[in-house]
Amino acid sequence: MPTKDQIIKTLKDRFGSAVIGSESPKPERLFVDIKSGKVRDISNELVAMGGRYLVSVGYDSIADNGALGMIHTFAFDRDSLYIGIRTSVPADNPVMDSITPDIPNAGWSEREYADLLGMKFTGHPKPKRLILADDWPEGIYPLRKEVPWNLMPPAAEDVAYQLDECPEGCSIIPVGPYHPTLHEPAHFAVYVDGETIKGSDYRGFMTHRGIEKLCQTQLTYNEVPFVAERICGICGSVHATSYAQAVESAADITISRRAEYIRTIMLEIERIHSHLLWLGLAGHLIGFDTVFMQSWRIREPIMWLGERMTGNRKTYGMIVIGGVRRDITPEIKDDILNVIQKVEEELLVVQKAIVGDTAIHRRTKGVGYVSTQDVVKWSLVGPVARARGVDIDVRRDHPYAAYDEMKFDVPVFNSNDVWATVLVRILEVFEAIKIIRQCLDKMPNDGPVLTELAAPIEPMRHGIAAVEAPRGEVVHYVITGKENSPERWRVRAPTYPNLQGVPLMLLNNQLADVPIIIGSIDPCFSCTDRMEVVDIRTGGVKVLAQDELETLSRQIK
Amino acid sequence: MLSTIAKKVFPRSLWVYHCNTGACNGCDIEILNVLTPYYDLERFGMKLVASPRHADVMLVSGAVTRPTLSIVKKAYDAIPSPKLVFGIGSCAVGGGCWFDCYNVTGGADKAIPVNFFVPGCPPRPEAIIYGVALALGLVEKKSAPIELKQMEFPIDMYERNKAWEDRNVIYELLK
Repeated sequence: MPTKDQIIKTLKDRFGSAVIGSESPKPERLFVDIKSGKVRDISNELVAMGGRYLVSVGYDSIADNGALGMIHTFAFDRDSLYIGIRTSVPADNPVMDSITPDIPNAGWSEREYADLLGMKFTGHPKPKRLILADDWPEGIYPLRKEVPWNLMPPAAEDVAYQLDECPEGCSIIPVGPYHPTLHEPAHFAVYVDGETIKGSDYRGFMTHRGIEKLCQTQLTYNEVPFVAERICGICGSVHATSYAQAVESAADITISRRAEYIRTIMLEIERIHSHLLWLGLAGHLIGFDTVFMQSWRIREPIMWLGERMTGNRKTYGMIVIGGVRRDITPEIKDDILNVIQKVEEELLVVQKAIVGDTAIHRRTKGVGYVSTQDVVKWSLVGPVARARGVDIDVRRDHPYAAYDEMKFDVPVFNSNDVWATVLVRILEVFEAIKIIRQCLDKMPNDGPVLTELAAPIEPMRHGIAAVEAPRGEVVHYVITGKENSPERWRVRAPTYPNLQGVPLMLLNNQLADVPIIIGSIDPCFSCTDRMEVVDIRTGGVKVLAQDELETLSRQIK
Repeated sequence: MLSTIAKKVFPRSLWVYHCNTGACNGCDIEILNVLTPYYDLERFGMKLVASPRHADVMLVSGAVTRPTLSIVKKAYDAIPSPKLVFGIGSCAVGGGCWFDCYNVTGGADKAIPVNFFVPGCPPRPEAIIYGVALALGLVEKKSAPIELKQMEFPIDMYERNKAWEDRNVIYELLK
């Protein structure tokens, strides 16, 4: 089990002068500065030591040193350690080695910075456009500082998506952009041989709104949490908490314990509502509308509770840097206990019905199989990984807020299919209820819930924070800046890695299972894109409208 | 006036097509929520359909982003006339807080003609039902009062205490 010193020593022994220096502002954070030539070897070394790839952060520091910065981040789950390896390449020739051939999940991050910063990655297996629209002109990189946030190059209509070649002997079935799961726009091209899926490609990022750029240029520190909540309407508090924690970690701010408890309660309330929502949608996708109606009925009191606690049914606006905006009064405490009591009772009934239903078993068991090794290799997170035998949970591995004092179980299953994701999510609702009860029971009363900052936040400090969202691990990376606003803010939602694993899940399944497999990762494209009819002519073999696909998906296998 | 026409043009059940043009999911789950047992939009004969070809009404949620602009127009064209378009949520009303970002075209009205707007971030399910019912002439339009009735700041319901009374003394005097 490598400690921080051992990791630095190993890297220095093996790579010598390529390791320039290191910095550890907190016990559980480590930043290593390296030369760009060795980025691939050092990344591989960290993965070999047991690191799990999180995300890459590219940023523009042309004004300071004429370079584009790049940070690859890794998590050591057993040691509660986050490592960022920082490197930079000159802006006039921004070429660096791609780490994607060995760490496949880095593929999207690197494509993102090829789009937004104009970096080039040698050896990338799929150097295609990812984020920007296909009609976006070459040579304009929105995340560079010289480009204003509101630059709108003229648009062209009907530019075809750049998709993979269809495998020999297969037909293309285009799904979307308006597709059967969750109504969010994203295009999947599914390559089928008869009814069996032989491959797929994805063209999404259609709800990319440029939030990161907007917040870096136009907003100040404490305005960002409210925009962060609007990254995703379902898991808003998660993003706000994660951002606030990243800034607090960078600026070394300590908040009161009571505020941390309230944050924990908000996160768990959000988890209950999100998992019940997913359960309903999953039922809807396999044609079991009773589950849809029942679980949304159970969920609705949670929305009302959110309104009574915070003033809004969601996008609570509770969390800011330094704590939370509202306290939990004794009346609200009783209210929460009553509501979760009711939810628990009613969900037990629904759980019984789902577990005993043979139709659901037949639609979900063995569907979307991915082996545990592949999940680790592709760095999948959240219920998708836990349903496939990978025991990771940020709440337990990297405790934040008040989770270090909570007792809860992390449900893990080994059947590696969609059925296990259903079970994981149902059990997590019960765990969430358990956590809320413990929070309310133990909540200390130690000072104001909102801490005043003593001094301005110092510029150019790095902070990384992760939060276990209902869908998996959310990672926020903040570089503090001058003028009371973040210099760089990077958001990685759980759907970002999980969506890259969807082609694995789809492979060799039946076409009718596409909606539930895509649905099983609980996709949240707006999180992923941050910043998505029936009109596709790619290959033009057969256009399957959403309703036909839904009908097809309802026919029991 | 539009509601009088709507009564004649859409005398029976409305089928609704929901189109996310770049929303954060907040409005989308509230739109789905109106179908579920507590709000139960189906009692008005309304139903969410999957294809624009089946629909009478289009609900647009979210700011129209650059990649979705053309497909939103196509989805609108695919709906047979007569048709109604609702912009649901702040982003569809005017583009929200990212109305001028590099990848955002603006509100729903930048792409297609919109008949009714339901503001809110996200709008409550009641607001969505009210908006649709208003358009169909099922309820009367409530107009704003002429005189300012609200003599106190909207405040936290749990905060009404001595400090609040002191702070709001000016509004007592105005009465």
